Amino acid sequence: MTLSDETLMAYVDGELDEKARVEVEAAMRANPDIAARVARHQALRKRVRLAFERVVDEPVPERLVAAVREFPIVTTRENNVIPLRRRKPPRKWSWLEWTSMAASVAAGVVLTLLFVGHSAVEPITSRDGHLFASGSLARALSNQLAGRVDTASASAPVQIGLSFRDKGGRYCRTFALRDASALAGLACHSGDQWRLEVLARGDYRADSAAAQYRPAASSMPKPILQSVEDRISGEALDAKAEAAAKDSGWTATR
Amino acid sequence: MQDSVAQLREQIAGLLPRLRRFARTLARDAHDADDIVQIAVERALTRLDQLRPGSQLSSWLFGIVRNAWIDEVRGRARQGRIFAPEELGAQVGEEPLGTVADTLAVQNALERLPQEQRIAVGLVLVEGLSYKEAARIMEIPIGTLTSRLARGREALQEMLSDTTGALS
Repeated sequence: MTLSDETLMAYVDGELDEKARVEVEAAMRANPDIAARVARHQALRKRVRLAFERVVDEPVPERLVAAVREFPIVTTRENNVIPLRRRKPPRKWSWLEWTSMAASVAAGVVLTLLFVGHSAVEPITSRDGHLFASGSLARALSNQLAGRVDTASASAPVQIGLSFRDKGGRYCRTFALRDASALAGLACHSGDQWRLEVLARGDYRADSAAAQYRPAASSMPKPILQSVEDRISGEALDAKAEAAAKDSGWTATR
Repeated sequence: MQDSVAQLREQIAGLLPRLRRFARTLARDAHDADDIVQIAVERALTRLDQLRPGSQLSSWLFGIVRNAWIDEVRGRARQGRIFAPEELGAQVGEEPLGTVADTLAVQNALERLPQEQRIAVGLVLVEGLSYKEAARIMEIPIGTLTSRLARGREALQEMLSDTTGALS
């Protein structure tokens, strides 16, 4: 009987059923050649496994534990499919986009953004399938002028990027959370609230704390810049127009 | 939900040692390997909805690690970046020299395998997964897995035959 190497490997890997296993073992007894081949495969398997054995005993780097414990997640209450439209993320940014279409599909599904280990007041809440700014993010969007970090809300400082009017006359602003979530997004003011149109997540792989909390306007993720392009009417607001818009309570005008 | 999410986080944390080990079979540099794990964990947490009830968390995570690695390799190829230099000195620890030397020999050999063979070897030989699980993770039929595994093993056997394995 001839036995292929693949069969002998499967034997070594414990993948053969009872009958085939008995056959291989009989062949090993009858033929020293086959026994030697099996031994060779066994030795390689063991050798490769041992070469990496040590890794599981190493202490896990703190940054990985922190990523598992603290990385914000998006999920649905029933663990259903999240009705967001996903696009293939570019290399450095993973992102989720809320669109009106997706939102209508999402009606009735309550999205929860969990910021475990973060501030008691979540910067983002959901209602009727839409996400809205709350807490420190809502305050920053309403009160903060671009380029300033609101240090008063130290738990989740927010940086504001661009402010502009969209094609429907609403005021919209880009923002970045300078915390471990490294979330950045675009919010538009409608009905007294800041509705989140786009959210993107930064990549905080870098080890230094400074590099983790990266989002400055210049490093705004591409999908957000793209959605600004798609929505903007005219130019972005300059400092004066921004201050005036803030004083008007960000009321949409045509 | 919050509870089950917290539980999931704990389960993932418990799998970190194995995820790191698997990543180490893919990326030679330990820091690169941990980067892959971090990317994978973050991806996993944003895609918990894709975790089907009853499916195994570890398999799902191994798959995400694998995909993260493939993306990383493609990204680097695009950028023309080379991998971080080997830090041989840093890996020599308290272990008996034979073990460390053999580990290096195995890592060197593994590194020279084609991507998909290396992944197959990592999942089956290092992580001890079944063919079925490994094939599912790699999104290939079992027959494809076993032939990749066989080719990978033959190549390893050949490369390692002239080095002394610290095995009886």
